[in-house]
Amino acid sequence: MKQFLKRLRQDKVGLIGSIGVLLVIIVGFLAPVIAPYSPEQMFTEHTMEGPSGQFIFGTDEFGRDIFSRIVYGTQVSLKVGLIAVGVGATGGLIFGLLAGYFQGKTDQVIMRIMDVFFAFPDILLALTIVAVLGPSVTNTMIAIGIVFTPVFTRVVRGTVISVKENEYITNAVAIGVSPVKIISKHITPNIMAPFIVQITLGLSGAILTEAALSFLGLGVQPPDPSWGVMLNSSRAYMEFAPWTILFPAGAIVFTIFCFNLLGDSLRDILDPKLK
Amino acid sequence: MLFPVLFGVSLFIFVVMRVVPGDVAQTILGTDATPAALKQLRQDFGLNLPLYEQYLNWIGGVLTGDFGESMRTGKEVLPDILNRFKLTFELTFLSALISWVIAIPLGIIAAMKRNSNVDFGVRIISLLGVSVPNFALATVLILILSLMFSYSTPVGYVGFFENPMRNLEIMVIPAIVLGTAMAGAVMRMTRSSVLEILRQDFIRTIRAKGAKERVVIFQHALRNAMIPILTIIGLQIGTLLGGTVIIEQIFSLPGLGQLVLTGITQRDFMVVQGAVLFIAFVFVMINLLVDILYSYLDPRISYK
Amino acid sequence: MLKKIFLFFLLLIVAVVVAACSDDSETTADGEDGGEEAAEQVLKIANDQEPAGLDPHKTPAHSSVRVYSKVYEGLVTFDENMEIKGQLAKDWEQPDDSTYIFNLVEGVKFHNGREMTAEDVLYSFERIMDEETASHISSYFSDVENIEVMGDYKIKFELAAPNATFLSHLTNSSAAIVPKEVVEENGDLQQVAVGTGPFVFEEWVPDSSVTLSKNEDYYIEDVPKLDRVEYYTMKEEAARLSAIRTGEIDMTTLTAKSTELLEGEDAVNIKGYQSLEYSYIGFNVDKEPFNNKKVRQALSLATDRQNIADVVWDGEAIITGPIAPAMGDWSIDVEQEELYQRDLEKAKELLAEAGYPDGFSTEITTASTYADMVDTAQLLQQQWKEIGVNAEIKQIEWGEYIDTWSNTSADILVGRNGSGTDPDRAMNYFFHTDGSANVWNFSNEEYDAIVEKGKRTIDQEKRKDIYVEAQEKLLDLSPNLFLVSPENYVAVRDGVKDFTPYAHNGEDIDHVYKK
Repeated sequence: MKQFLKRLRQDKVGLIGSIGVLLVIIVGFLAPVIAPYSPEQMFTEHTMEGPSGQFIFGTDEFGRDIFSRIVYGTQVSLKVGLIAVGVGATGGLIFGLLAGYFQGKTDQVIMRIMDVFFAFPDILLALTIVAVLGPSVTNTMIAIGIVFTPVFTRVVRGTVISVKENEYITNAVAIGVSPVKIISKHITPNIMAPFIVQITLGLSGAILTEAALSFLGLGVQPPDPSWGVMLNSSRAYMEFAPWTILFPAGAIVFTIFCFNLLGDSLRDILDPKLK
Repeated sequence: MLFPVLFGVSLFIFVVMRVVPGDVAQTILGTDATPAALKQLRQDFGLNLPLYEQYLNWIGGVLTGDFGESMRTGKEVLPDILNRFKLTFELTFLSALISWVIAIPLGIIAAMKRNSNVDFGVRIISLLGVSVPNFALATVLILILSLMFSYSTPVGYVGFFENPMRNLEIMVIPAIVLGTAMAGAVMRMTRSSVLEILRQDFIRTIRAKGAKERVVIFQHALRNAMIPILTIIGLQIGTLLGGTVIIEQIFSLPGLGQLVLTGITQRDFMVVQGAVLFIAFVFVMINLLVDILYSYLDPRISYK
Repeated sequence: MLKKIFLFFLLLIVAVVVAACSDDSETTADGEDGGEEAAEQVLKIANDQEPAGLDPHKTPAHSSVRVYSKVYEGLVTFDENMEIKGQLAKDWEQPDDSTYIFNLVEGVKFHNGREMTAEDVLYSFERIMDEETASHISSYFSDVENIEVMGDYKIKFELAAPNATFLSHLTNSSAAIVPKEVVEENGDLQQVAVGTGPFVFEEWVPDSSVTLSKNEDYYIEDVPKLDRVEYYTMKEEAARLSAIRTGEIDMTTLTAKSTELLEGEDAVNIKGYQSLEYSYIGFNVDKEPFNNKKVRQALSLATDRQNIADVVWDGEAIITGPIAPAMGDWSIDVEQEELYQRDLEKAKELLAEAGYPDGFSTEITTASTYADMVDTAQLLQQQWKEIGVNAEIKQIEWGEYIDTWSNTSADILVGRNGSGTDPDRAMNYFFHTDGSANVWNFSNEEYDAIVEKGKRTIDQEKRKDIYVEAQEKLLDLSPNLFLVSPENYVAVRDGVKDFTPYAHNGEDIDHVYKK
């Protein structure tokens, strides 16, 4: 662990990424302290105003403070990212472990089901799931989570299979150690590295997918301040009120960028083959 | 692998389309329709039959190459899908091409100069590409290009074989938008694959023999690194096929994505089922192709 | 080697990008077909929606109507003042209040060359009224008891009772005269279009374009002036905006916000007209608390309609009652209505009287497809909060929205209605107990009697008085809250002449020409 942190500090890319991610998380937690106004409050006298002392990022068509909405939007984005990835990762971990450990029939069945979801175009899959469940933040997160499950399953299964080949595990099986113990004691720690990398990358993917769903009108419900919703609804005003699109776009790009930087650098650091 | 997956996809999309709230007859006839007209229309579509019968009718048709007719326009589904597939495939291919041109050289350079400032810069630029939601990038690009270069989004689509230049003119901006996002992923994969190969014994041996760095990279490392790169390219093309929805809509391109999207909002079951099944089929085929290429390249890789 | 290939592709891409950005001006000046036939008159129109099919009897979607209304014609139509005039019917007489005899224009040919006669009129109306056709306008003609061909150019319609709406229903683009042989040959008319109108259907490329060409044999001289009309589907507003700016297209519809951006452009003219549409809030009046009239009235008093017009429509919308102001004399002036004056104190009082002194919680359902509906919902949410009504917003996509509407499965629905061309639609059809579009469970005997009388009264002046009474009554009962009626905009390139949009026909291009 110590070595890991040291390597992270040495990697400029990873360092920038982690600082950025940390910043985003802090903003999310301290949103009520940082934001000067409520994200839903409409200043009807101040619609579509450019950045000023009172509204540092300007206001939108309803006269809502864009800065406050972005700050609160951090919470929404983090929530969407974490829960969606949580769903996908948990599903992927369970299915991947089962498939990879038992192989044979179990593996066949699980992987075929995953292939079905995998062969389904991402956005369309999310779209149909949201359409079935009805649009809401929770359902959006579940949908994105389901979309991510096959990727996680593949990552976990692949690693489990390669770890299982190791002699000490073959020995453990031979002397009759229970599968539960083998999985929890010996296999799980080994798959953590690729798994964590996939999680960081998944987080950015989830935020992007939420934005894409917002474009199609099926993301977070208004008036909740999601960056995706802000970005989409401000496209119409882009030309005469560029601040309405610039700041939410900046927030999305910054956040995803930092998560990607971190993920990329983690992959470098954690990949045993690259040491 | 092919049939179980396609069977699963067909069943899944069939069930999903029946579970989604909404009624195709009502969306077609709108607010003025009488209940009798609605009932008649549903009957015309065979929606009064038991579900298993509807499914068997549909899948039976599909197996004989008859994907049925669009409920909305009465058009045959399969010819429409094939027609639109040409566009979506071209768009996908062009974006992929653009991303390779950008990403593979950059990835190699980054790997060769690992941890240098060049590596650092390349990684940041490629990650920026992945971090922008493509609908935002598309709208901003349209605005800037139209204000500065009097660019207009394509009006009317022209197929590649009808007029190649005009066709490329239409496709290039959307392809760039999609390609930018794809480039990041390919770049990363190239970088890490090349890095991995460069660390292997046989490369050290070649180096030790005094081969030029260029020969090492292009003749040995890259060829071996192609395998994982190919895998991600296959995956990317597959994902892009369904991921062009938004870009097709913004640039008014009559592709598969738009077909599915309109199909979903109109509850045109036949179109959505047919198109999704078709996309899944192509996706599986591409991955199969990648697998075949993989084993073709395989003998050159040194097994540990 | 590899480097060279990369370089080649890089150059190729650069070349194509440059081409895409630079040579627009040349291609648009005289069309892609070259300069020799520069005199050819081609009008390019961009639409935000793809036609849903071309069968006039089966497709109500506006994106379809705008196309097939150029290809087909009906017996009668509206003139620019919304007065009924003959189209395929030269004139008509009424032996009694419930009988109409139409004399058809002679020598009118379908686009397949065959002459149109009274038999075709008979066939078309039989097709509309046949249940198997599943036509959306069959209910318009439920009063028709008998149609009789009295000669090649003479046809009689007998109604069960006098019906003031009959003629205006006939002006509907869907009441089109179609040739039997084309229907029989193709099964239906969704993919083909053969009418008698000024334009001939040429080609429909799905999700891309529809092409119409001039009807050389049109029975009215010098109409149309255009040689070709090309409709392009461009869903994205930014795309249409860039295309009208560069002149890639000649005409398109835009929102009020986008038209502001074009004000500085000399080459583009903006034509606005007051639309027949209005936005509304519908209540499920069977459900608590909306079964109480006082609650609905309180919400009306808490609603700031001007604010909705200002924010959602950029101020380009007028406050409306159940009949849109574009209907002229038919609609009442609502500005002075008591329930339209925002009064939070009174609203709270009404809520208290209804038994909700602290307000209540509810849900507003809206369609994600239309930004104006979502924005309206957000404003209402804020406005109603001030009287203690806490609403959550639920936005659903179009297919589900239509379903929710028809099953009344939402408590409060934000929507947009078309007033139609006869007050009967806005009043009877939407709010009569048996009205086909009364999905609100609304029922009031007194009101039913008034609108039934309106339908059966032929005398225009008396009819107007009846509908004034009906509107007052409806506002008081408030099964829906009527909000604002927006102005519609068409952006037109400078070279397009003689184009005037009307509320009942936003895209009349029969006399348009290009210079």
